[in-house]
Amino acid sequence: MKLAGLKSVENAHDESVWATAWVPATEARPALLLTGSLDETVKLWRPDELALERTNAGHFLGVVSVAAHPSGVIAASASIDSFVRVFDVDTNATIATLEAPPSEVWQMQFDPKGTTLAVAGGGSASIKLWDTATWDLIATLSVPRPEQPKPSDKGNKKFVLSVAWSPDGKRLACGSMDGTISIFDVARSKFLHHLEGHFMPVRSLVYSPVEPRLLFSASDDAHVHMYDAEGKSLVGSMSGHASWVLSVDVSPDGAAIATGSSDRTVRLWDLSTRAAVQTMSNHSDQVWGVAFRPMAGAGVRGGGRLASVSDDKSISLYDYS
Amino acid sequence: MACVYIPVQNSEEEVRVALDQLPRDASDILDILKAEQAPLDLWLVIAREYFKQGKIDQFRQILEEGSSPEIDEYYADVRYERIAILNALGAYYSYLGKIETKQREKEEHFILATQYYNKASRIDMHEPSTWVGKGQLLLAKGEVEQAFAAFKIVLDGDRDNVPALLGQACVEFNRGRYSDSLELYKRALQVHPDCPGAVRLGIGLCRYKLGQLEKARQAFQRVLQLDPENVEALVALAIMDMRTNKAGGIRRGVEKMHRAFEIYPYCAMALNYLANHFFFTGQHFLVEQLTETALAVTNHGPTKSHSYYNLARSYHSKGDYEKAGLYYMASVKEINKPHAFIFPYYGLGQVQLKLGDFRSSLSNFEKVLEVYPDNCETLRVLGHIYVQLGQMEKGQEFMRKATKVDPRDAQAFLDLGELLISSDTGAALDAFKTARGLLKRGGLEVPVELLNNIGVIHFERGELELAEQSLKEAVGDGIWRSFIEGKVNVGAADATACNRIYKDVQIFTQLEADNVNLELPWNKVTALFNLARLLEQLHKMEIASILYRLIIYKYPDYIDAYLRLAAISKARNNIQLSIELVNDALKVNEKCPNALSMLGELELKNDDWVKAKETFRAASEAADGKDSYSTLSLGNWNYFAAMRNEKRAPKLEATHLEKAKELYTKVLVQHNSNLYAANGAGVVLAEKGQFDVSKDMFTQVQEAASGSIFIQLPDVWINIAHVYFAQGNFPLAVKMYQNCLRKFYHDTDSHILLYLARTHYEAEQWQDCKKTLLRAIHLSPANYVLRFDAGVAMQKFSASTLQKSKRTADEVRSAVAELENAVRVFSQMAAGANLHYHGFDEKKIDTHVGYCKHLLEAAKVHCEAAQREEEQARQRQELARQLALAEEARRKAEEQRKKQLEKRKLEDEQKRVQQQEEHFRRVKEQWKSSTSASKRRERSDADDEEGGHSEKRRRKGGKRRRKERSSKSQYEMEEAEVDDQEYEDAPLNYGEPADQMHDQDDNAEENAQDVLAAAGLEDSDAEDEGVPPPNASRRRKAWSESDEEEEERRPESSPVRENSAELQESDGEFGADNEKPNQDEAVEDED
Repeated sequence: MKLAGLKSVENAHDESVWATAWVPATEARPALLLTGSLDETVKLWRPDELALERTNAGHFLGVVSVAAHPSGVIAASASIDSFVRVFDVDTNATIATLEAPPSEVWQMQFDPKGTTLAVAGGGSASIKLWDTATWDLIATLSVPRPEQPKPSDKGNKKFVLSVAWSPDGKRLACGSMDGTISIFDVARSKFLHHLEGHFMPVRSLVYSPVEPRLLFSASDDAHVHMYDAEGKSLVGSMSGHASWVLSVDVSPDGAAIATGSSDRTVRLWDLSTRAAVQTMSNHSDQVWGVAFRPMAGAGVRGGGRLASVSDDKSISLYDYS
Repeated sequence: MACVYIPVQNSEEEVRVALDQLPRDASDILDILKAEQAPLDLWLVIAREYFKQGKIDQFRQILEEGSSPEIDEYYADVRYERIAILNALGAYYSYLGKIETKQREKEEHFILATQYYNKASRIDMHEPSTWVGKGQLLLAKGEVEQAFAAFKIVLDGDRDNVPALLGQACVEFNRGRYSDSLELYKRALQVHPDCPGAVRLGIGLCRYKLGQLEKARQAFQRVLQLDPENVEALVALAIMDMRTNKAGGIRRGVEKMHRAFEIYPYCAMALNYLANHFFFTGQHFLVEQLTETALAVTNHGPTKSHSYYNLARSYHSKGDYEKAGLYYMASVKEINKPHAFIFPYYGLGQVQLKLGDFRSSLSNFEKVLEVYPDNCETLRVLGHIYVQLGQMEKGQEFMRKATKVDPRDAQAFLDLGELLISSDTGAALDAFKTARGLLKRGGLEVPVELLNNIGVIHFERGELELAEQSLKEAVGDGIWRSFIEGKVNVGAADATACNRIYKDVQIFTQLEADNVNLELPWNKVTALFNLARLLEQLHKMEIASILYRLIIYKYPDYIDAYLRLAAISKARNNIQLSIELVNDALKVNEKCPNALSMLGELELKNDDWVKAKETFRAASEAADGKDSYSTLSLGNWNYFAAMRNEKRAPKLEATHLEKAKELYTKVLVQHNSNLYAANGAGVVLAEKGQFDVSKDMFTQVQEAASGSIFIQLPDVWINIAHVYFAQGNFPLAVKMYQNCLRKFYHDTDSHILLYLARTHYEAEQWQDCKKTLLRAIHLSPANYVLRFDAGVAMQKFSASTLQKSKRTADEVRSAVAELENAVRVFSQMAAGANLHYHGFDEKKIDTHVGYCKHLLEAAKVHCEAAQREEEQARQRQELARQLALAEEARRKAEEQRKKQLEKRKLEDEQKRVQQQEEHFRRVKEQWKSSTSASKRRERSDADDEEGGHSEKRRRKGGKRRRKERSSKSQYEMEEAEVDDQEYEDAPLNYGEPADQMHDQDDNAEENAQDVLAAAGLEDSDAEDEGVPPPNASRRRKAWSESDEEEEERRPESSPVRENSAELQESDGEFGADNEKPNQDEAVEDED
């Protein structure tokens, strides 16, 4: 497996690019790349030329997270001011503005069926679930707090940063500042257990599309862990980045993961050997997001795409094969 | 049976004396001889017989009697026999003198001998045998030239005089003219073919000296044929056999030596050689026996020296350096010139080196070097001694020379490399590489230590790939290879084990259960450790941790491995595990300063201040106060303590600071190039406001720190930035912070971003400040302080924008937007305050919210004003457009009118004039107040012209004009109104905030603070990190934080640094066994 650079756009945004996601293709158009930046805009790009499709304004303070509905019709973006803006991808019409004070908004993700949007709620130590039909808050999944928080603890240790749906939509995983990962049963809105091993913030989580129990976590401790999320066991640990791992994504075939790190590199890891097979160093600053384009249709081989976004204001597109 | 017959005087009878039955008392014989007046030759015969039988006293008695004055008188005419007796006595005394060791008696003997010879000469000047005897005597006395003269006299008289020939040959031999000597021996042999084997011995020796070994051998063998018990020949042959340096030859040689020894156990030469042989076979007891015998039997200086040398060598190899030294010394004393026999000097030098007497050692080795100026080993030893004496340059010079002398001596390059390691790693690396190349070319196995050293140097120089290659080569094959190549599945850990992953050794027990060989040879441990350290540097933590664990599994006492594992888990913020690992290390050695220091660090991280201090103290004590790290840690502890006290106890603060300074200075005195101590001292100075001095210090530290891969000292960058900041040099401070972030933290440190934001804030770059804070929030989302600061920055931005005298509506609008954001941020925090602890006073946030809202309200007016302004601008534009349109229409109308005018020109002029006048008057009335310009007049002229023609049209035009006027006046009105409004409203508008803003004008800096203070927003230094009062406390906080980080960095690099220190120290062990310094060192190394 390997990555080959296809196209890079310098100064894609006026400021650091912090978030990226692929909007799945619809019948009318191909998949689009969604990016969010400190410059308070969200942009849509058409692959493979990375031609700018549209620029959405409407956020104040930096855009920290973007997510696309599996249908490819709607998408959501969130910023530091804790608003989530849900919009129509093709018309940019605002569908809903979500907020659940005092909970902040960090990473968010639509469930695989597209009925629910899960939002990592930061200091509220919870995940907020929004119904995508009515845009009502339907549930709050809280991470259990430790019994006796030490008064000397600065800030909230269970601050929730990242969130990931299992491929069957039954489980939700969330990562927090103190490095613990919490697994929830969505149907019963019930906390199941913690996954331990990280002791620094977990900024990105992703389930393998092929093995529903397999969860990957990226942490500031420069490691990527592979967990059996049901069995509560650490399957493997991968090190190689020189600094924080900010983002992780699994390839649609489930054979590789890509990571973006503060060490300015994007790495491709072969899961069969659990070793880095390639390191891309085309970015000149921290790589905040990596995203594989979802498979256009079943059985389509090749033509995989990986996008990465960075503090250097650029976005890059790679061919994955 | 040999007999002599003494003729009885005056008769024909003879007394028969059986020579083997000579009476014990020589007086009996003497009586007979005297009584019978026996011929003197009989005296001589009998004396000689006594001599042969070893009865020296009797021999001397007879001869002395035979040379007494009465005999002279009695036998006055028997000249030859008298001379013979005297010569015999002379020869006897020369022999005595020759073998006598005591100088005085030796001389006495020689004097006696001389007297006898002189007496003989007085009897007959020309007697050759006397001259031969004299020659021998002179030879014995070492007066070679005079001996030559004596023999020459004889030979001039009779060129075939055999004894003279032999003597002369001996003289020539001693003069080193071996071919002349050989000629003489040959002539002697020709003249007297039956002469004893000794002559052939001489020939053999000459041939040997001339390098004609085969002929020499033949000569010796011939001697042995003639006299199978000739010890000298045997010894000579044995030596020749030994010199062949082949096993068989040596064996034959030793056999011959043995025979010689059996024949004559007192031949010193044979004894020495045998001792030499047994030295090499390791039979030290025999060596001592033989050499002691040899010493007892010989007085020959060089031989004795050789014996002493053998003895010394024996003790030397047994490790008894004192005795060895004494014997070497004795050996050296026997030597007149070092050129003759240099080995004992070498040995003495070695022993002295071992005993630490470098100067004496040096002089001895220098003597060796005089004789063998190109001896590599000597050069190397000298190099080492100079290094030990602190003369690095000279040491290196010698080492370099050694490598130049023999560019294929791997050992020399190895030594040179080790020597250079501390001063010039590049050159050391080259030397090591050459050594490696030489060893490889020679087909020898490259020692692990060498490869390890090469690897470590590459590592230090940041050439990680090369380092990896070398270290991998050093560790070679083993289970670790499978780990590195990922061939062994590390296996899963269940939930409880994930937190303790670095203590897990299950994998090894598992592997052993599967019969996998986990052997780890002791000499590879260091290299493996370094390899693991390198993998760590390459961020391959998993493999590194397995290797460390393997080391611990096999060698549970390897403290550094525990510490590295602890450092890894600490870097991953797994403090609990890290503490456990350090405690494991402490179990191995509870006084290990490194482990204690690390424990102290961890305790500090856990906010366990008192415990940490105790631990640092213990570490410092464990190292007798010599460990700079623990002292530094204590210094830092004091510094933190001084800064931490939020309640400001100036007295306590001062004591802590003073103590910190004292500790830093202590370290600096011990190690004047300790960067960390210098940094700490700089901080204390800066704390006291001596910015220039501290800046110099920091800058120097920064320069020094930029050299090595192991020294990561971002704190000094931060400190320099802080100093720039404190001095108001904001652009430089910004640059410094940014560089530091980029260089050391991969831009991930929100603290430095905070410093940066504060610098922007002070520099009033509000947008930069806000962006920086947003970045910081993004990096560290749980830090609500950052949000608060961002809110304050936005509030400040808006306030300052609104307060500007000139601003566009856009500016105002963005200011308002920012204010709204600020309100949102603050109110969000206020709402969240109950939910989670973030150390803010709710009231304070409320005050901010209130202030912002107030500002927002005030801004509304601004906003409206701005909007109005914009509206006006738009209207103005509209008006201008309408005017332009009207103009256009008018022009068209005019044209039309002109045409009509042409047409109607011929019509009644009178009527027109009348009408014109009327019209003019009317117009005048109408436009009385108007300020219409000439244009208008023109038009009215035109109107006048056409005026009368059509009332209708006129009315139309009038109407239009009116419209124009009304719009114009309206515009003017509006403008006036706006102006009025603005002037009037100004004081009203600003109301309360206006006061504040005026303050801001006066006092750009303190303003916000004052206002906030008034509003109850003080108390910012503890929590309000973004907007503290511009006094030192903020800076202090910053410093203290940066120091904390400094501590975090250090332990990471220390183990390997120590390792390399070990490598260097091992040099000191050179010399115990000069031939193999490297093996010794290997032992030291691994120990």
